Amino acid sequence: MKPTVTDKSGKKNQKSSKQKGSASRPSSPSPSPSSPSPSSSPTPKKAAESSSIPHVVSSSGSGPGSFFNKKLQFWKLHIPNEVVFDEVHFGKFASYYLQGKYFFDLHPPFAKLALAFVAWCAGYDGHYLFDNIGDRYKDHGVPYVSIRSWPALLSSFVPPLVFLIMKESGYELPACLVSACLVLFDNAHVTEGRLILLDATLIFSMVAAVYCYVRFFKLRHSPFSRAWWSWLFLTGICLSCTISTKYVGTFTFLSIGLSVCLELWYLWDIKTGLPIKQFASHFLARFFCLIVFPFALYLFWFFLHFKFLPTSGPGDSFMSLQFQETLDENPITANATGLNYYDIVTIKHMGTNSFLHSHPDKYPIPYDDGRISSGGQQVTGYPFEDDNNYWMVLPHNHYADPKYKPNMPVRNTDYIKLHHVGTNTDLMTHDVASPYHPTNEEFTTTSVDESAGAKHDFTVFQIMINDETAPDRKVFTKSMSFKLIHKLTNVAMWSDPKPLPDWGFKQQEINGAKNIQTGAILWMFDDIIGLPEERVNKEKRVPKKLSFFKKYLELQLVMFRQNNLLTESHPYSSTPLDWFTLHHGIAFWAKNEENKQIYLLGNPIGWWLIGGIVITTTVVASAEILLHQRGIVTLLPSVRNHFYRSIMFFYATYMFHYLPFFLMGRQLFLHHYLPAQVAGAMLCGAFIQLACMKSFHLPVSPGAKQPNDVDSHGYAKSLRRNGYIIQVLTSLGLISVLSYCFVFFAPMTYGNASLSVPEWLRRKWLDSWIFQYQK
Amino acid sequence: MSVGKKENSGKLRQRFPSKNHSPEISAVANEKEDLKKQDDNTSSVKSDSKYCNLFGYVLVPLLLTVIAGFVRTWHIADSPIVVWDEAHFGKFASYYLKHEFYFDVHPPLGKMLNAVAGKLVGYDGHFGFDSGATYPENMNYKFMRLWNAVFGTFCIPLAYYSAINFGYSFWSASLIGLMIALDNHLATISRFILLDSMLLFFILSTFFALSRFHVYRKQPFSFYWFKWLALTGICVGCVCSVKLVGLFITAVVGIYTVDELFRLLNNKKVTWTAYAGHWLTRIIFLIILPFLIYALTFWIQFLVLSKSGPGDAQMPSLFQARLEGSPLTKNPVDLMYGSKFTLKSRNPAGALLHSHIQTFPGGSKQQQVTGYHHKDGNNEWVFLPEHGVNYNFEENDPKIPIKEGSLVRLVHPFTNRNLHTHQIPAPLNKRMYEVSGYGLGDIGDEKDYWVVKIVSDAAHKDASSVRSLSTVFQLYNPIMECYLSSSTSSLPAWGFGQIEMYCDPNTDAKDIDTHWNVEEHINPRLPEGSLKDYPNSFWNDFLHLNRAMLRANNGLVPDEDKLDALRSSAYQWPFLLATLRMCGWGDEQIKYLLIGNPIAYWFATASLFGFALFIVGSILGWRRHALRWNEKTFDAVHFAGFYPFLGWFMNYLPFYIMGRVLYVHHYEPSYAFSTFTAGFMVDWFAQKLPRVARITVYLMLYVIITAVFIYFKDVTFGMHGPSSNFHHLRWLKSWNVHD
Repeated sequence: MKPTVTDKSGKKNQKSSKQKGSASRPSSPSPSPSSPSPSSSPTPKKAAESSSIPHVVSSSGSGPGSFFNKKLQFWKLHIPNEVVFDEVHFGKFASYYLQGKYFFDLHPPFAKLALAFVAWCAGYDGHYLFDNIGDRYKDHGVPYVSIRSWPALLSSFVPPLVFLIMKESGYELPACLVSACLVLFDNAHVTEGRLILLDATLIFSMVAAVYCYVRFFKLRHSPFSRAWWSWLFLTGICLSCTISTKYVGTFTFLSIGLSVCLELWYLWDIKTGLPIKQFASHFLARFFCLIVFPFALYLFWFFLHFKFLPTSGPGDSFMSLQFQETLDENPITANATGLNYYDIVTIKHMGTNSFLHSHPDKYPIPYDDGRISSGGQQVTGYPFEDDNNYWMVLPHNHYADPKYKPNMPVRNTDYIKLHHVGTNTDLMTHDVASPYHPTNEEFTTTSVDESAGAKHDFTVFQIMINDETAPDRKVFTKSMSFKLIHKLTNVAMWSDPKPLPDWGFKQQEINGAKNIQTGAILWMFDDIIGLPEERVNKEKRVPKKLSFFKKYLELQLVMFRQNNLLTESHPYSSTPLDWFTLHHGIAFWAKNEENKQIYLLGNPIGWWLIGGIVITTTVVASAEILLHQRGIVTLLPSVRNHFYRSIMFFYATYMFHYLPFFLMGRQLFLHHYLPAQVAGAMLCGAFIQLACMKSFHLPVSPGAKQPNDVDSHGYAKSLRRNGYIIQVLTSLGLISVLSYCFVFFAPMTYGNASLSVPEWLRRKWLDSWIFQYQK
Repeated sequence: MSVGKKENSGKLRQRFPSKNHSPEISAVANEKEDLKKQDDNTSSVKSDSKYCNLFGYVLVPLLLTVIAGFVRTWHIADSPIVVWDEAHFGKFASYYLKHEFYFDVHPPLGKMLNAVAGKLVGYDGHFGFDSGATYPENMNYKFMRLWNAVFGTFCIPLAYYSAINFGYSFWSASLIGLMIALDNHLATISRFILLDSMLLFFILSTFFALSRFHVYRKQPFSFYWFKWLALTGICVGCVCSVKLVGLFITAVVGIYTVDELFRLLNNKKVTWTAYAGHWLTRIIFLIILPFLIYALTFWIQFLVLSKSGPGDAQMPSLFQARLEGSPLTKNPVDLMYGSKFTLKSRNPAGALLHSHIQTFPGGSKQQQVTGYHHKDGNNEWVFLPEHGVNYNFEENDPKIPIKEGSLVRLVHPFTNRNLHTHQIPAPLNKRMYEVSGYGLGDIGDEKDYWVVKIVSDAAHKDASSVRSLSTVFQLYNPIMECYLSSSTSSLPAWGFGQIEMYCDPNTDAKDIDTHWNVEEHINPRLPEGSLKDYPNSFWNDFLHLNRAMLRANNGLVPDEDKLDALRSSAYQWPFLLATLRMCGWGDEQIKYLLIGNPIAYWFATASLFGFALFIVGSILGWRRHALRWNEKTFDAVHFAGFYPFLGWFMNYLPFYIMGRVLYVHHYEPSYAFSTFTAGFMVDWFAQKLPRVARITVYLMLYVIITAVFIYFKDVTFGMHGPSSNFHHLRWLKSWNVHD
């Protein structure tokens, strides 16, 4: 059998590379700087977690297939020689790692670290920030081919792994080939795998995790053996890499987790005969290898992340002030000054960056909606430098006991008054509804006389440093955020960016919010006006230390929060239903004058086939369950067993990687479907075997009991006559259609060929595919 | 092999003594035979069942109902002002009495029932129900409140008998009844003109009907079986017609049905014909019947609300034209250049094309063009010819009609801007072009031009010119090659939550988003039209209104910037971490606070956790053969234990997924179901105790719950005097009893 594989794929390899060779020659714009297979530099430095893979690849005889795939992935890797789509992001992040500048991203650090490492190996120093799609790499001296070769390498291991998963799961050769080819000849996988993106790493580690798990599962009859431990451990590593690349990895965890739970459920059964103690060691082994260890590894990448990003950078503003203080060269530590009473300061609202401001104009007594204000002096938020932003910090008993004590520091939880220098009034609030928020209190000012007398209580505020309860902590400018709580009515000074009407000069509203726990109520002392020279900080301050776990927790929370904020529509975002039918693609890159483009699109035939088979499997499985409940036998026990263990495992993996997207509020893209697509490819191969042969070669796992409904060749007795031949013919047909379709759409995968308008139109199978070309 | 297994399991420690293992004591007549078979059941069961016959069926539920009725009506009219959402639901009742069409997110049944109460006492619907306003002298608001209290009161017998039907002991059923009757939250909310007491009433009646149906499950196709199946369906229809939250209990009924049908499939005695019959009856009674009831409530709604009112604009133009007193009935028919009109989208969002002086914060930063659902002068537009062409619109000037293919300009008279589009992505749907108000009067460019393309006409055979109401047409921008379209999504705060409008470059003529009709038409030069026989389809209006309700419901998203003390989060409810003030908190005012009976809440929530643990433990034990349940015990856990828990779960969990604003009273149905779980758990564990201890446990629970209710009675009967007098009620800091 093996020779046929080699033969087939070898032939195809020659054929398709020939085809492509001819297609590319006339159009290749510039001679490539290096041969199109620059895998030399990154390959040996491949991360340790995939060390088992090359061994597997060579041992199972799919070497030529793998080579072929490398060819597909690496072919014309240097094209386009410009920044493509999200390379803007991930290239930039690699540069930041090399510069050591702190940045913020929604995805965990593993794959980005790996990209940065490859870039570093290629001798790149991170000077260019991948600013715009379409920038020419050569102008900036980026070794982009070497960087791209890393995802391309990982991506080229995916089809062989799919092949091996199918092989290990006991499917016949044609089924394995169909599954592998659904991924191999998939334009979307090739497009994503060739560029500086995270998806190649994600899909590689996901598929590797499934592979390791299948190997582990097959060893269930020799538990705690060395191989058993190794594959369990490798599963954990791969799972960890998946989730450390993107949080989509959670779904891989769920797929494998469900299967592990079912396994444990089986082990727990008294008929299995395990004493509780032995069950506990089964449980603990899995718990440690699949949860504790992967999590530790996940944390390790964050550890490296902080380690390699010691310097202040564009990500500062996402983090708390405490966090920012830990970064080298951060402006906060450098400029922070202890605040003393009688200092004149500006006070900045965190989040909107407006200054607390007041001016002689009054609130209009009736508002447009008929509500009444106090008619007091306006207090607003104003984002620009202005003399009216100056406030003097007074002790709350200043008027009663007006003794000036020099250098008296302001401390946490102190009661203070804020004196507006420009109008000689004091800040106050009272139980009058604010201009926009009837539930909040109006902020205004009152004259010094009243502040000293009748309105004293209304002008007293308490400084509460955020996340700091120690009352003696000195207040610093810039490095601390605080809430200003009104002592009398227990409201917090609050603001939001909605501009006031013309009477308020479109400045933003400031009022007292009743919720003093959360919300936009954090402020910061910004500059001390006329700071005496002796108080200016001169020596270079050392960044503060914060424990790793505190840093990690904060970053993790910010990542989740930011992820939920990604709700805005994007021109190329799509919905999960669109993926199922391949309704939309993504324009990655285009060169209109040459009529070239890269448009992310799956192999339509493959995707539609997967969609059809997913629906068919759903119907078949439901029917089987219902009939079984009625006692009607449709599948032999051993076939049924294999159906639920293996085919439904692929099915569940597909569903786990697909359905949760329906619940997500954030913007989604076509490439989010790729993990599900891989699972769907495996489902397709398995289902085709079930449909064509109605039988499997059993038992799959070594050491398993020989089922009694299996014939002498090891096939379940329901084997269809000529089933194997039907399967071979079906598979050959499918593979040739898939490869033809792949080649047909290759110009938009590689972005190498200038096609004429009619040629582009011929490829526009759906009206919703928006190609860019010059008319 | 099997023998060995049995021995093996016999040696394992028995978790549940086989004697008296069944927690349920069923008094239902047709199950008495089963009871007799259980010879080993002790005399306590028999005496219990005797109790059930004497007290359990009449006296105890009657007593509980009287208690519940008392706490729900005592001093019910003390606060003569409009409390909490009476402002909404009282107002809606008024609309029915005035027959004015209004729009609301809830289906009509509950609100119509409130209107019935108003009708009964002769209320004419002319009180405005402004929040906090005092009721007029001559208005019998007390009766309307009592009407709600009656629904609240009847929840108790329903819960009690449901528990009995599912096989709870009489003691536990009483506990459940008491926990619902003496829950301060439920008692308080039943005292006002709201929907909540009706909602809970219909939820529990659905559950009760299901429990009766469950009793007759072994006599399929008998009279009683049909009767209770049909009643379950009717209750499902009613509960969904009160609030859409009723869908959650519908899901419980659905899961019960699927569960039963799946088990029936395994029963070889059920022939395929009988099995098909099972399916058919359930489809008829549990899907079609409830749907018809739901639709019926809307049919009555359309019948009663026959006059034009504040909700007109939510409906299709033709519907509005049929309402009495609608200005649309006087629309001139044919549109001319110079006509002033409002333009209504035909898509489900059905918004009116609107513009106002505020500008887009991004994109072109030109004047916003949006879709608005309410009548407003800013919805008006005028048809004018191209720039530079001047038609005069004096009395005797020629009237030039708008026809298929006419090139028009839409001018917004309030701001004098032209409807304009350009190659800038729309604010939300970035694949579309932004539509804005541009230029000033006659200043502008050719992107202000639109071509009229007529799609159909509902009332005239000749569809070549644009007529008000009936003509459906598209507006095509020839320069940008796109169609004016209405989206279904709402803009963020800068657009005041109004609907996004855009110009769609890739669409076909069938796309309903690009279809428009003229709604209001004003042209003094034309004669007033008379209302023609426009085709009238109840189902169209029904569908349209339901879509509008769903959309409005989804629009009730919390405004993160508004710090609202009334709002709460779902996780707070079971632990009673949040309360809700139903009215102002002034010293003079009588104040009502929505807060559950803390002990009852915490006890119920603890039981939920206990039940979950119990189930997990039992399943694991079953797998290790350490569980010895007979079929009866299994059924008890399956039905009496699992379904109320499911009721709690289905009524609670969806709130985590919902994006809308949440209040504590959304937990009421869940709380009611959690009391069942509490009853089940007490039943399960108390049955092993000696009789005296068991009764003591129950009596203690009764006393504690009653005592705590009395301790908190002021939040229910009204807190008189300053809130600072009630410091002692603030057990947790987050309960905002006082400031």
